[in-house]
This record gives sequence, C-alpha cells and structure tokens, in this order.
Amino acid sequence: MNVILSIAKTTIGEAIRRRVLLIILLIGVLFLVIAPGLSVLSARSSYTVLVSFTLGVIQLTSAVIAIVLTVYLLPNEVERRTIYTILSKPVYRWQFLLGKYLGAVGALGLMMALMTGILVLVFKIMQAEAGMDVVMTLARAPMMYFVQMSLLAAVAMFFSTFASPIVNFFLTGGVYLVGTLFSPVFQDIAGNNSVNAMVKTAATVIHTLVPNFAQFNVQNTIINSGSQLRSEQMYYLQLVAYAFAYVAVFLIGGMMIFDRKEV
Amino acid sequence: MNLAIETKKLTKTYKTSSGMQSVVKDLDLEVEKGEIFGFLGPNGAGKTTTIKILLGIIDGTSGEANVLGRPAGDIESHKRLSYLPEKPYYYEHMTGLEITQFYASLFGIKDKDLCVNLLNRVNLGNDYNRPISQYSKGMQQRVGLAQSLLNDPELLFLDEPTGGLDPIAHIEIRDLILKFRDEGRTVFISSHELSDVERICDRVAIINKGEMVHQGRLDDLLSGGRIEVTADGVAENLVDKFKGDDMTLSLRAGRLIADLPDTMSPNEMIDAIRTGGGSVVSVIPRRKRLEDLFLESVSGDNLAKGRVTGKMTDDDKKADVKEEEVSS
Ligand SMILES: Nc1ncnc2c1ncn2[C@@H]1O[C@H](COP(=O)(O)OP(=O)(O)OP(=O)(O)O)[C@@H](O)[C@H]1O
Ligand SMILES: [Mg+2]
Repeated sequence: MNVILSIAKTTIGEAIRRRVLLIILLIGVLFLVIAPGLSVLSARSSYTVLVSFTLGVIQLTSAVIAIVLTVYLLPNEVERRTIYTILSKPVYRWQFLLGKYLGAVGALGLMMALMTGILVLVFKIMQAEAGMDVVMTLARAPMMYFVQMSLLAAVAMFFSTFASPIVNFFLTGGVYLVGTLFSPVFQDIAGNNSVNAMVKTAATVIHTLVPNFAQFNVQNTIINSGSQLRSEQMYYLQLVAYAFAYVAVFLIGGMMIFDRKEV
Repeated sequence: MNLAIETKKLTKTYKTSSGMQSVVKDLDLEVEKGEIFGFLGPNGAGKTTTIKILLGIIDGTSGEANVLGRPAGDIESHKRLSYLPEKPYYYEHMTGLEITQFYASLFGIKDKDLCVNLLNRVNLGNDYNRPISQYSKGMQQRVGLAQSLLNDPELLFLDEPTGGLDPIAHIEIRDLILKFRDEGRTVFISSHELSDVERICDRVAIINKGEMVHQGRLDDLLSGGRIEVTADGVAENLVDKFKGDDMTLSLRAGRLIADLPDTMSPNEMIDAIRTGGGSVVSVIPRRKRLEDLFLESVSGDNLAKGRVTGKMTDDDKKADVKEEEVSS
C-alpha cells in the first residue's frame, strides 16, 4: 500500500505542475469567472442559465484534463526511463499502474476542487443571499463529475497500456463522447422489445462495454430543484458503485496487459 | 553456488522492419559474488538490453537468466539489488532529498537520516534541498548512486555510471565503486570508459552484436603485454640487428624506442646498447591494454584496420623507416 501511495503522491506532484494542464485549468477558471457577465445576455432566468453553463464548463474542462493528464502518464515514464528505476525496486507492475492511476485521480480531484471552489465563490458574490443549501447543491454536481472523470481516467489508463498517447487521446475521447451522447439511446434500444434481436444485442453489447457517462450529469436535479428525486442518496450511491465496478474492470484489464508489456 | 548473475544461452530477439533481429545471442554470463564485473561492447551491442532482462524489465526470448539465485525479475531479489540506469532522469520538481525518500519508500524505508547520509556520501550534502531541475549531469548521477545504495544492495547494476562526467567526478565515482567492493557488494558495470574498467574491474565480458567475444579475469585476458626500452646514444647498426617480426624499433637522433613482446627478455638488447656505448634511459613493462583487447574483439566490423590489433600496419612501419632515414 505504501508503495502505491508513494507513487500516487509523486504523480500528483508532477501532474499539478504540468504546464498544459494548468493552461486548460486556467481557461476553465476564466470561463467560470466571466460567466455571470455572459448570463446577462440570456432571456431565461439568469440563475438557471448560469448554473448549467458553469457546470458545463467544469465538466468539459475536467474531461479534457482527465484525458490529457492520463494518456501521458505511462508513456512519459518509459520515455524518461523513470519507470526502469522504479521497476528495479521491489515494486509489482500492478502497483505501479494503480499508483499512477490514483495519482491521476488525486490531481484531478485537486483541480476540480479548485474549480468548484471558484464556482461557489462566483455564486456567493452574485447572490449574496444564497444560503448554504444552494452552495451544497452546486457542489454536488462536480462531485458526480469527479466520479465520472475517475472512470474516464481509468479508460485512458487502460488504453495507455497498449496505445500511443495520440491514439489514446482519440480512443478515450471517443469512448467519452459515445458514453455521453449515445448511452441513453443504446440503453433505450437494449431495453426495447419491439426492435430486431440483432440490433438489440449490438446495443446491449455497446451499452455494456462503453460506460454510461451520461448518467453522471445530475445537473437537471439541480436546475429543477423542486422535483427532487425521492431517493437521491441511493441514486448517487448506485452511480458511485457503477463507476467503481467499471474502474476496476478497466484497471485490472490494464494491469494484465501492462504486466506482459515490454517497456 | 557463488554466482551473483548467471545466464545460459540468453537470447533476445526483436521483430524489426527488416525481419527478426537478435539483439542478445546465446549469452553465457557468469558474474561471481563480490567482484566488480565490467560489461563491455560497442554502441548497440546489447548491454542495456541484457541488463533490462536481468532486472526483469523485459523478458528474454529464450535461454535462462538467474540473478542472486533466483530467476531474473523476481521481486524478492529486487530487495537485494539496485540499478542505476543509463542517463537517468528524475522527477524534476522534486529535490534530491525528496527523490531519494521517494525511492526509499518503494523499499518501505521511512528513515530520512539514511537518505541524508547517503546523499552526503555522494557529496550532495550541500545541494540535496535544491530541485533536481537545477542539478548538473554529475549531480543527477550522484543522486542515482545515492538511491542505488538505499537498500544496502548485494548487487549493483550500473549502466554507464560515469557517462558524461568530468574527470574529477569520474575519479570520485570510480573510488566509490571500489568502496562498494570493499563492502562486499557485487558490482556489474556497463561502460565505455575502458581505462576505468581496466583500473577497477576484476573480470570483464566483451560482447559484440549481442554475442560474447571474451569473458574472464582481466589479468588473464590482458596477458601478452609488451616491454618498452628507451635508450640514448644508440648506433644505427643496432636497429638492423634486432629488427624482427613482433618488435617495433624507432631510432631518431640516437634515441631508440623499442617495443618488444613481454615473452622476450630485454637483457640481450640492453647489453647490446651498452656495449655499443649507448645508455639505457628506461625499461617499462606495458600490459596489453584493455583498449587493444576491445578493439580486437569488435574488429572486422567498422573499424579502420590499423587500429585494431595495436600492431603496426605497413603504413606505420614506413613512417618509422622514414624517421630512421631522417635521423641518419
Ligand atoms: N524495443 C526494441 N526493438 C527493436 N530493437 C531494439 C529495441 N530495443 C533495443 N533494440 C536494439 O538492440 C540493440 C542493442 O541495444 P542496447 O541498448 O542494448 O545497446 P547497448 O549495448 O546498451 O548500447 P550503448 O552502448 O549505445 O548504450 C540496438 O541495435 C537497438 O537498436
Ligand atoms: Mg546502453
């Protein structure tokens, strides 16, 4: 455990200094800060627009950071030969991979926490009367995004055990897009008895292989805070369990490939 | 069994665009415990590849490799060995001390004092709180050596430990490696610094294109040295008298420099010089140099011929003859 945490810690330290990630983060933060100005242009209730816009910014920024951060983790280690020194110590490869992954998740968590903090601050300034409950509601969506991004990082980690960073970028990005945009569609087809059996099977396979990223978008419950889900806690817990299961599958798959890989 | 490293018919084959390429071929290495073993070969000979196999970073295609009595790559044996990679790189945001502590943590070592002591030992006592990004090449190499001592290893793999270092750093690291042996460690060095290797190694292996050319004690491999006799006031006729196949003589302004095999006694020549009124300036036995053996081992490839054996080519001899003519 010690070994894994050490590797994770070092990975975080390095990731939060990566210039490209900081630039992406800065752009995200910039959008969050100017968001109140933009929402004035909208006719709809400015609160609703502001919430969905800023949450969208956080989600998109986090997704880009998650992918860019993770696709380079293993290739950089090999290229700079740091991995050789580490693997010549009593460190199993799975420990190395897990440490790297946890480091990525840690760095991602820090960056997302920063954005969430700024988001809360922006709303505080905008609506001085906003109470603790509004803040909590606002912080909840990024928490689910964090779960989503941890899953995305696991996908990127898996691909990085055999694909080059550029290929991986598109693979992971593709999985994210499919999982976000089409998952509800596939889910629908898979559950529909009136469609052709083959189509149904195909939809089921895709729906099973590609994680459903869309379900982590809990924005709607925030925007329409009146229509509270009855068992909200339960729903979140299920999502976390879902993500955890997929993370485990991707990581174990990655470990199996990485174990045989020539580095 | 007293072998720290043993390989049997170790082979590593890569698929390349031009077909299968054996980078390491039927290598039989034997490294004894407690010795400094030099692993030599030209660029691309397969040294780093072999070391990577011995560490389990990559797998051999066929053959056997045992390290510290266990199959290569065994995690248990990794507790007892260490590795300094070729041109190492460290996470640049960390300080020398932090990186050493990081590597220590991989062994489950939390002892900060140990890290500080090791950094002092490699003369980084004043710099270990600076970030690695500010380190010179030599300082980075020292961090590498410090981390390689963390687990008090029985066996050290050093891949070009003095590569790119200035002569002072060179000597320091060389002395450090000699101390490792005094402490009972086995040291496996891959290096292009033949003079260093010659000075510190007990045994060497020379490989070329993945194949073993020589392996053995340096003293044995370098037998067949030469003796150099220098004398002043030597007469011309002496050169004619001693001229022979395995001997080079050069005479200029009465100064003779003769280079003879050490199987031949220099007495006869010395007597002749003195009888002829000359005076002997020096008689110096010269061991065959590792460089000679190395060049011999990898000859036939891409090396200019005359350099290969250390013997003289016709052109060289002509040049010497000219010298004689000028002097007469
Ligand atoms: N992954 C690989 N695929 C194909 N060929 C490889 C691979 N890795 C190394 N080689 C080839 O193996 C040969 C030996 O390389 P290696 O790094 O072991 O040489 P070396 O003896 O350490 O050389 P140097 O003195 O330059 O460090 C080289 O010709 C290299 O191109
Ligand atoms: Mg090498």
